Amino acid sequence: MFVLSFLARRLAQGAVIISLVSLLIFTLLRVVPGDPVRLMVGGMAPDSLVEQIAAEMGLRDPILVQFGRYAAHVVRGDLGHSFVRPANGAATGGANFDDTTRGERAAVADLIRDALPMTLQLAALALVFALAFSALVGIAAGLRPGGVADKVAFAVSSIFISLPNFWLAIVLALLFSVKLGWLPAIGYGGFSYTILPALVLAVELSPVLIRTLSGAVAAQMSESYVTVGRIRGLSETRIVAAHVLRNAAVPMLNLLGVQFSGLLGGVIIVEYILDYPGLGLLTINAVLQRDFPLIQGIAIVTSAIFVVINIVVDLAATIIDPRLEY
Amino acid sequence: MGLDSLVALGPQPAEPEASRSIGRRIIGRAARSGGFRIGLAILAVLALAAALYPDLSGIDPNKMDVRARLLPPLFGGAQWSLGHPLGTDQIGRDMLVRCLIGLRYSFLIGVASVALTLAIGCTLGMVAGYFGGRTDTVVMRITDAQLSIPMIILAIAVLGVSRPTIPAIILVLGLSNWPVYARVMRSVVMAERGREYVRAAQVSGASHARIVVRLLAPLLVPPLLFASVLDIARMMIFESTLGFLGLGVQPPTPTFGNVIADGRKYLLNAWWIATMPGLFLGLTLTGINLIGASCERARNAIHGGA
Repeated sequence: MFVLSFLARRLAQGAVIISLVSLLIFTLLRVVPGDPVRLMVGGMAPDSLVEQIAAEMGLRDPILVQFGRYAAHVVRGDLGHSFVRPANGAATGGANFDDTTRGERAAVADLIRDALPMTLQLAALALVFALAFSALVGIAAGLRPGGVADKVAFAVSSIFISLPNFWLAIVLALLFSVKLGWLPAIGYGGFSYTILPALVLAVELSPVLIRTLSGAVAAQMSESYVTVGRIRGLSETRIVAAHVLRNAAVPMLNLLGVQFSGLLGGVIIVEYILDYPGLGLLTINAVLQRDFPLIQGIAIVTSAIFVVINIVVDLAATIIDPRLEY
Repeated sequence: MGLDSLVALGPQPAEPEASRSIGRRIIGRAARSGGFRIGLAILAVLALAAALYPDLSGIDPNKMDVRARLLPPLFGGAQWSLGHPLGTDQIGRDMLVRCLIGLRYSFLIGVASVALTLAIGCTLGMVAGYFGGRTDTVVMRITDAQLSIPMIILAIAVLGVSRPTIPAIILVLGLSNWPVYARVMRSVVMAERGREYVRAAQVSGASHARIVVRLLAPLLVPPLLFASVLDIARMMIFESTLGFLGLGVQPPTPTFGNVIADGRKYLLNAWWIATMPGLFLGLTLTGINLIGASCERARNAIHGGA
């Protein structure tokens, strides 16, 4: 029962956030200079034609009217069609307004549906790498604050957080796929193509995870239940694995929820450099092509994921630590 | 016996620790840690180099020299030269000077955008926390919405069409990160709002503006400054990312981002063009991050202990 009211409240809040985000993006895209119609019809088209098509598409109406129309479609599950991408997946550049080969425009929902699983796979693998590495370094550091492991963790996280992801992607591609030939780097042709971008993202994610985990473990180790555990004769391994880690996992979970939008920023860059066909590549191309419906669709989907992840994180936190309230 | 210990033997004020402001105590504590000193040393060397080397060496960062093109860095290959310690790029421009000029811009943009972020975040956070009620709700909902949009999308959308001048870049970066500060500021101001000295000021007729600016800001802003050191590094990465995408400071002005993007085309026959600026940027950021992390540790220790 409590769970249901919690879910209802959070979903309502989430709906508010999603509509604010889409309104914000919607307004911003129309306020910022740069006419998508000009890109659609090509540079050779006369101005009168640009105005005519823009008027037909309703792009000259007041922004709130446009938003209302768009929102009415979205509520019915229709995210609209891309301005520039044809449904058959052909290249988009250079087409003229009267080019008869310009086919049907791709549906935004389809584009996102194709790209999202790729990015989820990448994000999941990156999380696995990052969690494994930060657990190794962070727990060792947290068990002995001020010790060697703590200093190593401090240095490692300071260096990792200082590596720009686009540079790291280039260097790792040079090292692992050109010099050593271990991993494929560019494009996508199977699971092995996910490893390199996931490594780059993991390096970006792990510094914050290491710091939070070592801090949380250190704080838990000074709690009285640890001393009680020792008096009861529990082994140190058991105390750490069964009790300390369980309590230290809560701040980690909350952090993962917050890190999501940072992860998405990293995904955009890494996918762009390594040509990985996921949501990030789709986003950056959509933004560079001024593809309004696609950008809005992506913004709605990502903020929905953000809301859902944060709800799941809070639920998971209460399962791990029943003392927390919804 | 050094000068310090002689001074320490002299008469001392009753409580040296408590009489100093919290900011000074945090700096003092951070300065004793190894990470802070290493970071400061790295940063000082790089700052000096960036300030002096381009002018002292007299090398123009944009001067082409076709005979000296694609020279490898020191000890990096067959024909390295002392005149170009980090080698040269595809048209013979000196990499070290280009990196240092890039560092100037990067640092300028990083510091300026964090200052802007602090100004916006602190103002909105204080207003929301101090007045509460409807003002608070509105500001916090905007904050939530902005937090759930990846800022890189907005930055690309804005800079992709308007000319990416330095003020425009600073504005975009500065607008990207304020929600975090607004949240922190709001929570501390809410805690402070009910304290006696604020109530006393209210009763004695001080205006809201006076209370916020004269009483709350001097007390609450300095601790945030320590956290913002880490954000300078984050903004510098953001700036170089934009430069890499071609949306940063435009060529021929060298910045880390556009030099790396340029060097990426020559990765296979001249690895140093793309990797050297990245190492340079990484070193700078490591310096800033070591300082920032030490400050943060010191702040946590002092706030935890106080």
